[in-house]
Amino acid sequence: MTDPLRFSAEASSSRLEEILDGSERIEELSDTDNEYEDMGAATLEEQVNIAYLDTVRIPIRDSYATETSKVQDDTAEIILPYLEGNPNDFPLNAYGIPKLQRDLHVKMLERALKTWPAQAAMMDASRPWIVYWSLQSMTALGIDIHPYQKRVAHTFSLAQHPTGAFGGGYGQLPHLACTYAAVLSIAIVGGEATYQSVDRKTMWHFLGRMKQADGGFTMCEGGEEDIRGAFCAMVIISLLNLPLDLPQDAPARKNGFMTFTDGLGKWISRCQSWDGGLSAAPGNEAHGAYAFCGLGCLAILGPPEETLPDYLNLPLLVHWLSSRQCSPEGGYNGRTNKLVDGCYSHWVGGCWAIVEAVTGPSELTSSHLWNRSALARYILSACQEKKGGGLKDKPGKHPDAYHTCYNLAGLSAAQYKYVYDENVNKDIGIANLGAPYHWKSQGVYEDDDVVCDHEDVIRSIHPVFVIPYRSVYECRRYFEAKEGF
Amino acid sequence: MPVFHLLRDWLSAIILSPYRMLQSVLYRLNILRPLPAENKKMPKFYQDDEAWADIEPLPQDDGGMHPLAAIAYTEEYSEAMGYLRAVMANSEFSQRVLGLTEHIISMNPAHYTVWLYRAKTISELGIPLQDEIAWLNPTALKHLKNYQIWHHRHTIIDALGSSEGETDFINTMLGQDSKNYHVWSYRQWLVKRFVLFDKPEELEWTADMIEADVRNNSAWNHRYYLVVGGRGGKPNEELAKREIEYTKAAIRKAPQNQSPWNYVLGILRAAQLPKSTIKDFVLEFADINKPDDVYSSHALDLLADIYAEEENNKGNAEKALDLLATKYDPIRANYWKYRKGLLQQAQVAA
Repeated sequence: MTDPLRFSAEASSSRLEEILDGSERIEELSDTDNEYEDMGAATLEEQVNIAYLDTVRIPIRDSYATETSKVQDDTAEIILPYLEGNPNDFPLNAYGIPKLQRDLHVKMLERALKTWPAQAAMMDASRPWIVYWSLQSMTALGIDIHPYQKRVAHTFSLAQHPTGAFGGGYGQLPHLACTYAAVLSIAIVGGEATYQSVDRKTMWHFLGRMKQADGGFTMCEGGEEDIRGAFCAMVIISLLNLPLDLPQDAPARKNGFMTFTDGLGKWISRCQSWDGGLSAAPGNEAHGAYAFCGLGCLAILGPPEETLPDYLNLPLLVHWLSSRQCSPEGGYNGRTNKLVDGCYSHWVGGCWAIVEAVTGPSELTSSHLWNRSALARYILSACQEKKGGGLKDKPGKHPDAYHTCYNLAGLSAAQYKYVYDENVNKDIGIANLGAPYHWKSQGVYEDDDVVCDHEDVIRSIHPVFVIPYRSVYECRRYFEAKEGF
Repeated sequence: MPVFHLLRDWLSAIILSPYRMLQSVLYRLNILRPLPAENKKMPKFYQDDEAWADIEPLPQDDGGMHPLAAIAYTEEYSEAMGYLRAVMANSEFSQRVLGLTEHIISMNPAHYTVWLYRAKTISELGIPLQDEIAWLNPTALKHLKNYQIWHHRHTIIDALGSSEGETDFINTMLGQDSKNYHVWSYRQWLVKRFVLFDKPEELEWTADMIEADVRNNSAWNHRYYLVVGGRGGKPNEELAKREIEYTKAAIRKAPQNQSPWNYVLGILRAAQLPKSTIKDFVLEFADINKPDDVYSSHALDLLADIYAEEENNKGNAEKALDLLATKYDPIRANYWKYRKGLLQQAQVAA
């Protein structure tokens, strides 16, 4: 039940599902089920988990069955054994939850950066994503990725298009999703030569061609206009410190727009759906991945406490985000009445830091809007792959770099207090789109309900750019110091 | 005869188990994996083709150093891409380019560059657009989760200026995946592009989709788009009443289904009606005086809002939120506490 939509131009998981033989997956599932059934009576840890699950379950069930409820029931049956017990036989932490399997995951990520077999041709246009997801996941797991610095610069110099921005690889047309992944990868590894490999002037012209008459952005020339375009464009302009003025040759100038941000907030507003969530484009269904894009975009346009209330119905948004947490699984789904999936640990879980920058903390309301520990449980218990490492959608699914990256980002959202504070980094982010440079991590949550040991805590991640804080600040600092293109 | 069946199953399990075990080991070792159908076709090479003799392909250039996440392309794919880069560099738009793009799409349907160039070629050559749609249909069915195919379709239908046959095609696609985001977004675009808001069949079809699965949120979203969202403006009283009654019937089927609860709130908001408009209905599913007989956590959620809007009824709103936090929706306890905090904040401010 992979969700039909990924943030990427093409998710590696759906592509790989087409490559891999389905029968193997089914076999894998039934194997683990049997192992679980063979375990006999519940251990003490299992009894504790079973009792916990009862405390987060909605006690109401409708008897009227439809396709949605059937698929949901089938899925719960597959997932629950992993939340109750430990069918993977992972070592447990002090809270009886599987420990984060760092070494296993790192090995899987190292493999993802190596050469893929011919069947992976389906990912030809998404190679920048594989690089970004893998490098970001490695840094989250505490791996030094500097040895990749030169190869990152080289990989993307091949994918940079003469007319500006990056494509999926050599000779491919420029695309905002590829450019987003390329710029983030370049920022993660850092270094002057790597930064210099980006042609910022042609990039600025390319972005100018993406700006549309209604305020939004298309993903490529002749391509679709959606909220990913808006978010990717803002991330790129902000990190590379590009001029906010539209180039003279930008078609949107004919519609009276002077800057990249003209009409953008209003366009994002139009993406808020009747149920409070955000959709790909005005009129479409609300969706978790698009919600993060919209909030990320607003958090770059200005301080969240100004931009969110200006452009969104905040109570309705919070209601919708909150409803995405699945009971009793604890992970998130992407849409109403859809299935839990580990990637929404970030797409929805990652929205909270931005929202909580507006709602809290105050004496009367807890700044704590969501169930962090339930999400951490889902990630550690149900999304870690035993065979070959990596994280995934849910038990029975194959792991990939995409799910590894966004499960880990979700885990960091569950572990850290990320705070917006204008006193942070007062020396940068004064000019163009400078708001996202004032975030900080205020350490790890230590409530009564934590489920992570010290060893399970990953590195902190910038809540808007989804790369390490240091990478964000070093990149912006470098381009702020640079004069001209 | 059950004894016989049991015996037969038991015997076959014993006899077949070594075979099954061997089979599963071989699958794991990738020895028995059946070849994908595409691999059985004869590969096509352009260097042997007279019609392409004038083209010098542009091969992939990795510039000496090994790029990250590279792909060991088949010779067939690699060669075809070399020819595509060459024709793109020459801005060639021709029948043979169409054939080339089709070939590459068959090997990699997720290649946006190829799709964009194909669309441009079609437009430059003035190819009959119906032919392109006829070619596109089976391709789309094979690759449900693909952005490029949908955008290409959008481009072609937009240029064609007719939505004829599109709804049938969409139905086929939704038959495979009734919540496919691309398909529903495409349908919303069709409604807008060809102004189908008032076409009775469109609303009837949407109602059928909701009837088939009342929990299909994509179908509810489409209904909202038809009735309010895509039109803009405030719905009149009669329309709001019709939608409220429609939603009530849907809620009665499965009260713990959040889609229609959200929907009715959306209608009330758009029509600028207070939430209390449906208070009596909500009380059928949740009543704070009967805390053990709650049939929908969403009703309790809405009841809290209705009480909060009433004069001097914050206490009841708090009771509803407490019930949600402690009993009916405990995974969101923090959120319900936050809502309670907002109530108190409002009281302090007043």
